[in-house]
Amino acid sequence: MGLVARNDAEAFEVILERHANAAFSLAYRICGTRSAAEDVAQEAFLALWRSGTHYDRARGSVRTWALGIVHNRAVDSLRRSGAHDRRRVSDEGIEETLEAPERTDAQAIEHATSHEIRRALAELPDDQRRVIELAYFGGFTHVEIAQMLDTPVGTVKGRMRLGLQKLRSQMRGTEALGA
Amino acid sequence: MSTREHQPDCPRHVDVAPYVLGALEQQELESFREHLAECPHCRLELAELQSVVDELAASTPLVAAPSELSERVLQTVRSSADLLNAAGQEADRPSRFARGQRTRGFAFAGAAALVAAVAIVLAIVLGGGSSSPKERVILGQASGAAQGAQVSLHKRGGHAELLLTHMPQPGAGRIYEVWLVRGKAPSPTDALFGVSSAGSSAVDIPGTVQGVKQVLVTSEPLGGSSAPTRNPVIAVALG
Repeated sequence: MGLVARNDAEAFEVILERHANAAFSLAYRICGTRSAAEDVAQEAFLALWRSGTHYDRARGSVRTWALGIVHNRAVDSLRRSGAHDRRRVSDEGIEETLEAPERTDAQAIEHATSHEIRRALAELPDDQRRVIELAYFGGFTHVEIAQMLDTPVGTVKGRMRLGLQKLRSQMRGTEALGA
Repeated sequence: MSTREHQPDCPRHVDVAPYVLGALEQQELESFREHLAECPHCRLELAELQSVVDELAASTPLVAAPSELSERVLQTVRSSADLLNAAGQEADRPSRFARGQRTRGFAFAGAAALVAAVAIVLAIVLGGGSSSPKERVILGQASGAAQGAQVSLHKRGGHAELLLTHMPQPGAGRIYEVWLVRGKAPSPTDALFGVSSAGSSAVDIPGTVQGVKQVLVTSEPLGGSSAPTRNPVIAVALG
């Protein structure tokens, strides 16, 4: 990212190539349409280019940083459009159009990891998984979720916390097994 | 120390999970951020849960991005890199004005004029097809409470979009409003917006920006105002 901060377009191209599919996938999952996802991913990468000097290595990988920007912009886009009747794109509904031979080794590892996380998410109790998905992928606030599920706000917050803690435990268990 | 061990230490620990998922209400964000600055227990829990949410971001099934996406981004990046490198490192940095010197207590018109005087304008041509209009990317200036924010206005034909990063929240009971300056007085628009928890926003400027000299942003009461009640925090000179 140091090169990007010095306006090195070639360095940025490497980052773009490395993370474009993950960024587009996340935007697609949140926005629900390819055109909106494309707009969001484009905005996010340009924002990333413009704000390269603000990247703090201590706060995570470039990938984490880039996907954080994509997430924020995708949720902004949803909220701006007022699309809270937003279409949901389920994991099952998305074709995995990036075939295995096209993947680099690093992408293959990330692909396997993403499967693990999805499996961990699927194994959560329904009420915990639902509030996490509605918040993170749906862009809803905890108050909106509480209204939607006709559940007290405190319960929604509690489910979010429990769900994330369980995910964390499962992820750490997976890491330990893989070590 | 696990999250369970420090759970009873702070009554606001219940807000960490919605915060890290981006699910706190706008008006709760400011106070929770202030709380985080003072509460080591919540900061620890935040660090633990943030790592989970980071993984969630990468958990979506992989979908191939359209090749046009990378092409469009790279065209803009290469053009701006050429221009910025030619202009030198200082061209892309906030001006002394934007860093907070002489930023307090200025009159609205004076502030707008001063901001306009130091605005950097880049004209970037996107080669997105012979029929598509050229896009100009105009860097704006942030001041006052928004010092440090990065501002660019993307103008294609008469349409423009304002992209903002590192913006502060507009404050409880307030919202950002976009103003267009064609003559002397700024005209209100329907563009009222908040910013994400990360301080970013993308705002479509309603109508056309043809004939507009400046695009300004102020913090206004919810619902917006018919005339600015505060000094502009963002100004983009369209020259």
